[in-house]
Amino acid sequence: MIATRLAARRFAGAVALLAAGILAASSARAQSDYPNQPITIIVPFAPGGASDFAARLLQPRLSELLGQQIVIENRDGAAGNVGMDLAARAKPDGYTLFLGNVGTVSINPYIFASLRVKPLQDFVPVSIVADTPGLLIANPAFPPNNVKELVEYVKARPGEVNFASPGTGSVNRLEMESFRREAGLDMVHVPYKGGAGPATADVMGGHVSLMFVTISSGINHVKGGRLKALGVSTKERVAQLPDVPTMTEQGYPKSVSSSWQGILVPAGTPQPIIDKLHKAIVETMKDEKIRARMAESGVIAVSSASPAEFKAYIEADAAKWSGVITEIGVKAD
Amino acid sequence: MELFNDLLLGFSIALTPANLAYGFLGVLLGTIIGVLPGLGPVATISILLPVTFALPASAALIMLAGIYYGAQYGGSTTAILVNLPGESSSVVTAIDGYQMARKGRAGLALATAALSSFFAGTIATVIIAVAAPALAEVALDFGPADYFSLMLFGLIAAVILAHGSVVKAVGMILVGILLGTMGIDANTGLERFTFGIPAFGDGIDFAVIAMGMFGIGETISNLERGGESRTFLRGVRGLWPSWTDIKSIIRPAIRGTALGSCLGLLPGGGPVLASFSTYALEKKLAKDPTRFGKGAIEGVAGPEAANNAAAQTAFIPMLTLGLPSSAVMALMIGALMMQGLSPGPQLMTQRPDLFWGLIASMWLGNLMLVVLNLPLIGIWVKLLSVPYRMLYPAIMLFCCIGVYSIHNNALDVTMAALFGGFGFICHRLRCEPAPLLLGFILGPMIEETLRRALLISHGDPMVFVQRPISLSFLILAFCLLVVLVAPMIRVTRQKAFEEGAE
Repeated sequence: MIATRLAARRFAGAVALLAAGILAASSARAQSDYPNQPITIIVPFAPGGASDFAARLLQPRLSELLGQQIVIENRDGAAGNVGMDLAARAKPDGYTLFLGNVGTVSINPYIFASLRVKPLQDFVPVSIVADTPGLLIANPAFPPNNVKELVEYVKARPGEVNFASPGTGSVNRLEMESFRREAGLDMVHVPYKGGAGPATADVMGGHVSLMFVTISSGINHVKGGRLKALGVSTKERVAQLPDVPTMTEQGYPKSVSSSWQGILVPAGTPQPIIDKLHKAIVETMKDEKIRARMAESGVIAVSSASPAEFKAYIEADAAKWSGVITEIGVKAD
Repeated sequence: MELFNDLLLGFSIALTPANLAYGFLGVLLGTIIGVLPGLGPVATISILLPVTFALPASAALIMLAGIYYGAQYGGSTTAILVNLPGESSSVVTAIDGYQMARKGRAGLALATAALSSFFAGTIATVIIAVAAPALAEVALDFGPADYFSLMLFGLIAAVILAHGSVVKAVGMILVGILLGTMGIDANTGLERFTFGIPAFGDGIDFAVIAMGMFGIGETISNLERGGESRTFLRGVRGLWPSWTDIKSIIRPAIRGTALGSCLGLLPGGGPVLASFSTYALEKKLAKDPTRFGKGAIEGVAGPEAANNAAAQTAFIPMLTLGLPSSAVMALMIGALMMQGLSPGPQLMTQRPDLFWGLIASMWLGNLMLVVLNLPLIGIWVKLLSVPYRMLYPAIMLFCCIGVYSIHNNALDVTMAALFGGFGFICHRLRCEPAPLLLGFILGPMIEETLRRALLISHGDPMVFVQRPISLSFLILAFCLLVVLVAPMIRVTRQKAFEEGAE
């Protein structure tokens, strides 16, 4: 009786071992021949926007390097939270990638209290792909021509100068809030809805004096003389706008920021897959054609030295913005 | 002369076989999605945008533009035939167009819509060609205070849409405004009436309410009426407009084109605002305003001309300044950027082929739409002879597919069903859905522009009377209010006298 029970237990153990072995083997095989099916990139914004633009630019080359078709799925809504939620709950097998950006990953968690996703826990960063600097623009008739003059002008008129933003919780608003604190300026915030377009139009029409925009949405208006640029939020000047000084050189080193975009995968994705993706993304971002296309609109094609470096980058970015958010007290729900 | 050369260049681009084919594909797709309720131009262009990346820039833009104005055409078809506005701008067309169809004049209503749209499209194309840069400057001059006053004027004009009780119309507008407040507030980031459901963060989609109130609500009402609802299937006559019909179309079409061309320049609800302000204008100008809401041909011709003209002039800020005035235009800018082109003032000088090619293609597209739509009218009208026990389930099915396709969200379908029930109750209470939808569209815009104008003026309300544009609209709004209220007072007094005489 005891013997049979023992035998049974031994048998069960053997079966369990065998099953584990098969599972391990199959998962190892799944990793080694990854990717063997099309890969989906979830873009949490509508087609035609900056994120979609970045995803579609790198799609052909990345697909070529990985030897698999890459499908871009636009799942917009709730400031990108809908798509982020979907991506976070996807199977962590390397077949669902998430195109995160400064808004979804670094800002939204501190603005939307009801957000279920905790980006730094639910995702593993792979690599940054695009660095989109912020551009401080103003109506051409607005007297100050650089940041120094702006600070003097606003200090002489506390609470009189208005600045626009594409939304209460947008990175462009936070960039201005951060600069405003650094320089000790009292200005009125005028929020807009529906992307940078409507806000830019009102700065162009002279209804609001100035705002931060992403360089890609401002560069053409600046080059066309419709708007003037007072500063750019990079450490070094941007090649496309060589005459525009950085915020740092004008004395505001804290005003270094970027509307970055990068690839993340759901937490639990096997490390070999992450490494393989990282290698392919780094290679993709070296592509001259992609670099040139991004540069046309002032965007800098970049990649992270390692997934860990990207993680550190996001952590620093999130810490910076959450600090600004706490200070000014923006909160939804 | 330069204009002539530019247009010649434009037509030489637009008339190449490939571009003609893409233009035709665009308007065909546009018509189809316009006819399908729920699936609007924004969704369709989003889906097709990636496909156009592989095309040359001019072909991509021509095709996408074709989808956009094709949808404006197609949207009116279902509005007229089954009281189901496919696009927000065809809500107004449904009011009299559907009544015309019920009276067996569906063919005439469709022909009126097609012809006045073509007329408006032609004029608007000429306006873009001649005056685009100048008009773009005018659009920039419009500040938040001016928008507020314009929207207020629009909201008051929305009352005129109702052909029944004014009090009920005001009530419906207010319900619409309340529904419009749902979602995350732009100024504070606070959630309003979202009940903790993340999907409500962006508010309710227009199509959900429109499909529910019009499509599903109408279906329930027809079930209740039973056999009687088949009356409009009998005696379909007058497919083609007679000379008298054409005479009564021309003036409203001209006025609609003028209003539409102006309002199309403004961001936001251009085509919607255009179509219903034209309707209000026609009703006020008519010798017998009681015909409106009962199948007045002017009520189809004016708004249809207006929404098509507005759809066309909406391209002006995008083409000349690189500024999007609507979601569709934002997509167009996205398409240009993917082509490696920078939308902005320099587009016209750097790529005249693209600019003028698109303008020429607009007129060609409008021509194609007429050629495409006029022969289809016979088929559409035949569709009405399908027994209604088969037609209505089909409508319901298309409503559900259309609503689901917006966000791939089943909650939207449930919401549409709820609004269907609400629409039925409103129908029984003789409360019309059109004012509610306009309140829903205009309410949030009024709130946004009011708060923005006051933020900019640092809380000084005088900004609304100090700006000439704003002041003009406020005066117009006040006059309109007087015109609206005066007859009511007179009628009440008359009633009082009549009662006194008894």
